Amino acid sequence: MRIAKGLLYALGLPALLVLAWWAGTTGAKNFFVPTPGALVSTFTDTWFGNRILTDVLPSLGRLFVGVLSAIILGILAGLLIGSVRWLRALTEPVLEFFRAVPPPVLVPVLMLLMCITDGMKVAVIISGCIWPVLLNTIEGVRAIDGVLSDSARTYGISGWARVRYLVLPSAGPQVMAGVRQCLSIGLILMVISEMFASSSGLGFTIVQFQRSFAVPEMWSGIVILGLIGVAMSLIFQFTERHILRWYHGLREVENAA
Amino acid sequence: MSKKVLGIAGILGFLLTWELIPRLGIIEARFLPPASDVIAALAGYVPLTAFWGAVSETLLAWFLGLTAAVALAVVLGFVVGSSPFLRRCTNSTVEFLRPIPSVALIPLAVLLFGVKIQSSLMLIIYASFWQVFIQVLYGVADVDNVAMQTARSYGLKTAARVRHVVFPTALPYLMTGVRLAASVALILAITAELVIGSPGLGREIALAQSGGAISGMYALILTTGLIGVVINLLMRLVERRTLSWHSSIRSEVIV
Amino acid sequence: MQPDINEHTRSADAPGAGRVLAEGTAMLSVRNLKKVYQTDGRPVEAVRNLTFDLRPGELACLVGPSGSGKTTLLKCISGLMAPTEGEVLLDGAKVTGPPKKMAVVFQEYGRSLFPWMRVRENVELPLKNQGMAKPERDRLVDEALEAVGLSHVPKSYPWQLSGGMQQRVAIARAVAYQPEVLLMDEPFAAVDAQTRADLEDLIRAVWKKLGVTVLFVTHDIDESVYLGERVIILSSSPTVVQEDLLIDLPAERDQLNTRALPRFTELRHHVYEQIQLAKTGQRPAAASR
Repeated sequence: MRIAKGLLYALGLPALLVLAWWAGTTGAKNFFVPTPGALVSTFTDTWFGNRILTDVLPSLGRLFVGVLSAIILGILAGLLIGSVRWLRALTEPVLEFFRAVPPPVLVPVLMLLMCITDGMKVAVIISGCIWPVLLNTIEGVRAIDGVLSDSARTYGISGWARVRYLVLPSAGPQVMAGVRQCLSIGLILMVISEMFASSSGLGFTIVQFQRSFAVPEMWSGIVILGLIGVAMSLIFQFTERHILRWYHGLREVENAA
Repeated sequence: MSKKVLGIAGILGFLLTWELIPRLGIIEARFLPPASDVIAALAGYVPLTAFWGAVSETLLAWFLGLTAAVALAVVLGFVVGSSPFLRRCTNSTVEFLRPIPSVALIPLAVLLFGVKIQSSLMLIIYASFWQVFIQVLYGVADVDNVAMQTARSYGLKTAARVRHVVFPTALPYLMTGVRLAASVALILAITAELVIGSPGLGREIALAQSGGAISGMYALILTTGLIGVVINLLMRLVERRTLSWHSSIRSEVIV
Repeated sequence: MQPDINEHTRSADAPGAGRVLAEGTAMLSVRNLKKVYQTDGRPVEAVRNLTFDLRPGELACLVGPSGSGKTTLLKCISGLMAPTEGEVLLDGAKVTGPPKKMAVVFQEYGRSLFPWMRVRENVELPLKNQGMAKPERDRLVDEALEAVGLSHVPKSYPWQLSGGMQQRVAIARAVAYQPEVLLMDEPFAAVDAQTRADLEDLIRAVWKKLGVTVLFVTHDIDESVYLGERVIILSSSPTVVQEDLLIDLPAERDQLNTRALPRFTELRHHVYEQIQLAKTGQRPAAASR
């Protein structure tokens, strides 16, 4: 009974929305919006064929490599800069500037520097989405609790052990907040780098559909980007819950008090 | 004091490195002009009305999009947030729509509006709406039960309760949302101009790049970064001003 | 009440200093310790001149009015902070950083335990960090948890426990570390009265069992008299030793009977008076230079 009720809550509104969409599009022929049925059949025709190998997977591969490198580099650099006070003071204004530069403007720059290659697209993703991870890691490292840090010192926990047992877990919630931003910026940059400068990939394909007024195909592209976004978000939430289980528990206890 | 000196040293060191990379031929100057050339190009732009036109078009799209998104998100956020029923109904839909990257809407925006400012607005509103909406939901959910019961026991009506209990609780969350939305809105404004070609700095960057005005392109990018810095500083200032009464309550962790 | 309550133990050394032992017999020596902070370019003298010694295996309480630089002193002793002048000697060796044979229990139990580690991992971490073998480690951790009465919650996270239990975890961590000197910085200031009494007895029990030297900082006069073999009373800031007082209560103490002894009341009364004097700024003669 409880499960049925939960299911009803979860599916009720989406079902209503799809129904409204269906009712709105079936009667009058609408150029801009296809019917749900047409979209589903276009979706399978368009993406479950050769395209998944030529466009979707390579795009996802670049995204994965780019985002992963950005996260690793961002955390490493953030640990270094965050732990060294003078380095932090030295780099802070420059980093603030880089964070503030809207990442998409890096596409034309890197196009110029590296021509249009896979490396360039990965470089765009890295250089755009490293900043939230880097700056959040710095902030997380800086904000380590003084008492906790003193405790670790009195027990002789220093060097790598300090990083592993104190700094990384303590900065964890901040780092994960940065990673979340990093993921969404990464997806944006993947699409843009392909829209702007490419002859294959998801972004390129979708723009091609739009230019040739293949409207249902274009919608199916929007849907696939949406699905990728949702999938990334689910993977992130799962990972975050696992890594920061202690943190969510702690927050719950604090909020209940 | 020494922190400021170090910060300035950092900026100078960065500019010096940038200057030396093309001068020493590590990267050819036609791909990365020295810092001095770029700053000279920027100085050359400053007297031009076309430059300020582009800046103001970008800022206009940013401002209109952000305002609309915030207004929409605040209204919907408070309505949905204060009803457990609505919260449960909309949860799955929100969780599905939110992660959809706004750039997925680019082809649709082009199809509907072409290269007009509406294209930018559509992307900006979609992207920044979620930032604010989610924070408002968190904020309304965070309302202290004891405070709510106290207000009720003193006979405060719904409107008064929203004004005196719910709103102050949600305000810090709202401000965090607005600050995040402000930078997202700038990213999307530039993206739309760059990719779609709606008027503004982004389009100028694309034009400069295809026209081979490389120093100019870097100068425009520098401008977008400076605008971003100003927006960030401004938002932090506003946040601190409105929350001076309990800035310590909110950590920055929930983003 | 006569002011010289136990004159025979009053320090024979200079006024403003505590008891000084013969060279080579002290476990912990604080010598002419001075700490001056620089805040906004203006120097603030937190500790002026502190001298006292702790015998091996002694339990001494350090009590003083609030703001008398107790925490500053403790940070200097534990090597977390360098003194401006003077020195701290642990077993004859000068303290320059956190020494290996010293453990500290902080007041803020919620912030001194690692929230991402379970109780057992928290207690185990310092030992693991020393590279101790697993069986040895397990034995020490089990013993320590047993000693503080927490054998039943090794898998919990510290924040799932009550304040008193969290502080027990911190004590277990210190005990498992096998220190020669245990420093405690107002460890029970943030727990309720009932728990506090239990924890006081726990400290006495652990101290007796391990024979460790304990320096216990508190602002609670009753607590200092009840716990200590000695009470070192600090003056108000800038801090010197107001008085170094021997507590001649029986070694077997319990919450009901010890606190009901006439001698307990006398000592308590005396410490209270000295602290009141310290608050009004009356200082031992030579320290006001």
